[in-house]
Amino acid sequence: MSQVFALVGFFEIVLVLFMQWEIYTRKIITTFSVASYVVAAFLLYLGVSKDLPYVVALSIITAVVRGFFIPWYMKRCIVRDQWREREIKPVISTAMSIIISLLIVVFAYILYRVTFFNTLHLREGSIPMALLLQGAFLIISRRNAFIQLIGYMTMENALFLFEGYLFPGLPFIIEAGVVLDLIGVIAIAGVVVRMMKDSSSDVNDFDELKG
Amino acid sequence: MKAYVYMLPTIISLAGALLCLVRRVFFEEVVSIIASVSSVFAAFTLLFLPNHFGTFLYVDGFSKIMLLLVSVVYASTVIFSTTYMKYIENPLFEKRFYYLLMNLFAFSMMFTVSVNNFGLMWVGIEATTVTSALLVATENDESSIEATWRYIIVVSVGLIISLLSNIFIYSVSGTLNFGTMLNHGFHVDRILIIGAMMAIIGYGTKAGIFPMHTWLPDVHGRAPAPVSAIFSGILLAVALYVVARVLEIVNVPMVREFAFWLGLLTVLVAAMLMVVQKHYKRLFAYSTMENMGMVLIGLSIGKYAFVGAVVLVISHAFAKSSVFYLSGNILSRYKSKKISDVKAVSKRMPFTGYNLMFSALAVTGTPPFGTFVGELLIIYGVLKYFPTFYAFLIVSFLFLAFVSVNYKVGTMVFSESDDVKVKERKRVGTIVPMVNTILAFLVIFFIPQIQELLSKGMIR
Repeated sequence: MSQVFALVGFFEIVLVLFMQWEIYTRKIITTFSVASYVVAAFLLYLGVSKDLPYVVALSIITAVVRGFFIPWYMKRCIVRDQWREREIKPVISTAMSIIISLLIVVFAYILYRVTFFNTLHLREGSIPMALLLQGAFLIISRRNAFIQLIGYMTMENALFLFEGYLFPGLPFIIEAGVVLDLIGVIAIAGVVVRMMKDSSSDVNDFDELKG
Repeated sequence: MKAYVYMLPTIISLAGALLCLVRRVFFEEVVSIIASVSSVFAAFTLLFLPNHFGTFLYVDGFSKIMLLLVSVVYASTVIFSTTYMKYIENPLFEKRFYYLLMNLFAFSMMFTVSVNNFGLMWVGIEATTVTSALLVATENDESSIEATWRYIIVVSVGLIISLLSNIFIYSVSGTLNFGTMLNHGFHVDRILIIGAMMAIIGYGTKAGIFPMHTWLPDVHGRAPAPVSAIFSGILLAVALYVVARVLEIVNVPMVREFAFWLGLLTVLVAAMLMVVQKHYKRLFAYSTMENMGMVLIGLSIGKYAFVGAVVLVISHAFAKSSVFYLSGNILSRYKSKKISDVKAVSKRMPFTGYNLMFSALAVTGTPPFGTFVGELLIIYGVLKYFPTFYAFLIVSFLFLAFVSVNYKVGTMVFSESDDVKVKERKRVGTIVPMVNTILAFLVIFFIPQIQELLSKGMIR
């Protein structure tokens, strides 16, 4: 099982690295959708092999909500404006993003070994940590609100993967609540992002929001 | 006693929300007022009933206090909104949606303080983000929408940290049921300590605790006055309620010290930032942050300081909601959020002006308001368990915050202006804040009852 987890984790990291280097929003959303399907497939495998019906149900929810519904909703919100279709001015240049995102993977490994490893005793534990940090980096390195949202959901995916693998017995009602909240956040965020477009494409000139 | 009785305040607010969907003139306002006032009565009745510990609900004295507090501020906010909404020129949505979201927001907060499960508390706190985000953008301008976005993204990322903390806590205890953890106890190991610290940071994000506080001044500054009031008065306190519950089960000195340091840093940073504020709503937002820092210090120390933290939460909720209502009155008249643009409030708007001065004194911990007693109990706790230097440091920065807020409010209220024509009459918009300021004072007479609720769970 740990080998499958390591393989899935490695694949997830590759997908997130692709997101870091990509500038087209639609492609990033599609990549996120693929990453969610991978997490769902892993949970399905876990649920079937360990005979845990809750985990199977969770994998179906993950596939439907994160793999299909959220990417579909986000793509629907995207209209063909230049500033929305691709990241025109990322906070950090693409070249620098590549270097930093690779360094993050190394940093996550070192951080995990010196902090959590002694308690968790799980060799692959640095994978979710790397994914969490990559998600956070995606949020701070981009101005495009949709990509920031993908960064947030990447962090959530990392947690689902981690928790599904280590603690598959977490009460189902809580998992369902988390997913429902995620749908709510995405729906509200979709509305807000739409309004941001109607108002302005430049979010720097807000004097009152400083200090 | 049947479990549904303890859920009445929560159910009433949900029913109020659903009824707001009916399309009838003024119906949403009437329904929301009835729902919120009914929830006040329901929550008040709970104070005299025994505790309820079930699979789904955990309603003890602390929960009851929070339920009553949420319902009172919710009711005053709904009543104040009926006049304030008229001043919003280009609202984002129809009035009924505003009240629908307001009722749902109150529902999610009441749900959070009644449930018996850390996972569901997380769901409740995240639900407050979902239900309140659009309320922030009600005024429908560029900066309010930007503030809403910052709120969604910063708070959601913060809550990811608390979700991770839930996983860690579950990994050690094998359950997320608060009552079970409290009764059975479990071995405290490093992973639980890390989980508890993550919970403090994660939920602390929602409570405006340093260093994840950045959304707070933006949202309080840009949201309409009633929304700022409900955020500042109770939302942040509800987030700290979850922190208090975490500290209750992970009663470890290292975790408590961590909470103490975060609280201390929050007070210091907020007090320093208050000095340079030019917009009055942002100034009050930093004042909220400072108060939440003090509450976290109180929760981290426990005992008398815990009682102090609860007293501070209650009186701050009343006083700060009053301050934000009044700032809404000022904004509707002066059309500016800059302190320098607001002159002679006491002459142009005497009810608002004098009330603002009293409320500002209340939020900065001036006697005889409840905030003073709360802060005094917390500082007593600091003196007892920490070197005197820390108490001195806290008092110094509280004084800095006191001077910053009251000097700036003083210049707004008592300065001279060419246009001093009185343009204010007594109406709902001036009476509601007045009632809340009086409640912030009256809290001091109910400290024995608060203590009884916290220790015995009900008032006999």
